[in-house]
Amino acid sequence: MKPALIAFGVLLPLLSACGGENQRLVQNDEYGDWRNGRARNRPQGASAGIVVFGVDKDRETREAAATGGGSGLSVNAYLWRATLDTLSFMPLASADPFGGTIITEWYTPPSANGERFRAQAYVLGRQLRSDGVRVQVFRQTLDRGQWVDSPVSAATNSDLEDKVLARARELRSQSASR
Amino acid sequence: MRKILLGTTAVVGAALLAPAVAVAQEAPTVRIGGFFRAYYGYTQQTGRNSTQVTTPATPGSPALVGSTLPTGTAGGTGNLGVDSTGNVARLSKNDFSTDAEVHVFVNGKTANGLSYGAVIEIAFNQQEGRNIVQQRASTGKSTASIDEYYAFIASPTFGQIRFGDEDGPVGGLMNSGVVTNFGSGGVYGDRESFVSRQANDRTTTAPGSLGDNTKIIYLSPQFFGFDFGASYAFNYNEGEDTGCSSNQSSGYCDTAYAFTGASGVGIAAAGPNFSARRNEVQAAARWRGSLAGIGLAVTGGYVGAGAARELSLTGTQSRVFNNLNVFQVGAQASAYGFTVGAQYEHGDANFFWGNTIRGDRPMDQFFAGLSYTAGPFTVGGNYVIGTFEGNSRSQYNAAGAGSNAALIANASAPGATGYGAGMMRRLGYGVGGNYRLAPGLDLLAEFSSYTVAERGRDLDPSNPGVQDKATAKVFILGTRLAF
Repeated sequence: MKPALIAFGVLLPLLSACGGENQRLVQNDEYGDWRNGRARNRPQGASAGIVVFGVDKDRETREAAATGGGSGLSVNAYLWRATLDTLSFMPLASADPFGGTIITEWYTPPSANGERFRAQAYVLGRQLRSDGVRVQVFRQTLDRGQWVDSPVSAATNSDLEDKVLARARELRSQSASR
Repeated sequence: MRKILLGTTAVVGAALLAPAVAVAQEAPTVRIGGFFRAYYGYTQQTGRNSTQVTTPATPGSPALVGSTLPTGTAGGTGNLGVDSTGNVARLSKNDFSTDAEVHVFVNGKTANGLSYGAVIEIAFNQQEGRNIVQQRASTGKSTASIDEYYAFIASPTFGQIRFGDEDGPVGGLMNSGVVTNFGSGGVYGDRESFVSRQANDRTTTAPGSLGDNTKIIYLSPQFFGFDFGASYAFNYNEGEDTGCSSNQSSGYCDTAYAFTGASGVGIAAAGPNFSARRNEVQAAARWRGSLAGIGLAVTGGYVGAGAARELSLTGTQSRVFNNLNVFQVGAQASAYGFTVGAQYEHGDANFFWGNTIRGDRPMDQFFAGLSYTAGPFTVGGNYVIGTFEGNSRSQYNAAGAGSNAALIANASAPGATGYGAGMMRRLGYGVGGNYRLAPGLDLLAEFSSYTVAERGRDLDPSNPGVQDKATAKVFILGTRLAF
């Protein structure tokens, strides 16, 4: 009996290495946890709980999955990309993918020397919705050597938002057909 | 044996630590999780009240014997002394019970793909009973203690090794068919929190009752649906230090393989860490898969162990126990929210996985369970019936130590004059349900009953007459939060 047991003990781990692609590691939450029912009761199985030290990889993965891109964005990836594309004719001052804000530098169109524009865009959430993006354009005109604020026509902001949304739809349909 | 063990470990170690495919190294994370639960319990129990069994010599003075342990159960010195003043009590049926555990999980990954980590489970039920002494000299019921703690390394190719205080493959890790996913677990649930030990109807022989003794566990990867596991423990004990309670070595010492009083702790003394079990081996294989949309799991397992020998005061060793030798098979199926399962165990063991005394008969136990989950609701029921030797047919005879006369017939055992030959029957069932209010947060209600019967044997010496059947019924209503 004893030699058989010993041989068994030595062979188990070696045999287990022969499974090839039909083999996988059994995760810790697939084993019973007697009486405490840990795995069956916990909201996310073994990865539940609060990380008090180290980087929470599971949470990073979950959040990346929620944005649809796995790209580390916390806002909708299509709207973000479309906003960048739409405002790309102006130089960027800052772009924060976590807060969803894009701010441009002042930009003077070649055709109009006496005025300059600046835009701020906010991507508001993870969903691709028509109210998911807001664009605010600021305009200044040169008056006796001084830049002074002047109004922007009300349609400008919504026109830009429409362009962003159209571009987002385009990006979406492109990635869907892939 | 030791050489071989070391050799085996070296082979496993070499296999595990062999360089694997390069994977990104992950710094260890530390997580905190755990559970809290609070229950209301209504308990009807045979032998919940104690009565003076001997009439006092003078009215008002205590009887000679107030309460004793049932004969044949762990009579070792590990049990609290009986109440020699003969005091008695009447217990209410209503009580609240709270419990919590805080779990610390450490997880990391090395550059060559090995996962590693540790689990430390801190419980707050260090003491089952109450010490009626001043607080500065005793521990409270809710003192922190360790439930399980172990370290592990795991590789996708070679499986996992756990080392520490943890359930074994047969004792909870890999069982199939033990359906306890409703209420607090039905007959294997939290009913013990409300049942007193007086008439012996508190303790079940559940897989997890095998214990968290310090062991080394190998768990294989899964391939073609199969995985298997094996574990080894030197003895029944947990934790740090030797366990010796005084300067003179005694049976309390973790590593004692022969000691005076061993014959009384074949079934572990009330409260763990005092038992005759030695050299425990567990092995289990299971298959999991699905056929036609039905999830299936089948497990076969074996647990074996030797036992400490009784030691006379003059140093003569006597072998009084059978080895522990139990085979287990279980299967379960899940589909459309239903889970149905059954498990059968047979082999040399007494109740609560005790070693039987030589000449005792083997145990049989059958378990069946069914549960149904629909949305946030889960309802279910389970049932267990077993026959065990109960009171041993033989007992240690110090006068014959070292010879065949070390065991003599037990005059108060079944089979002796005036007693039937019946075995102890242990029968229980539970029905219950829970409602999931939020992820991890459950409301639950459960009714369970457990009966112990052994013809002709007095299970409750704290009441007059022969009480050979005892039942405890518990209704639980409460909430449980896992985090």
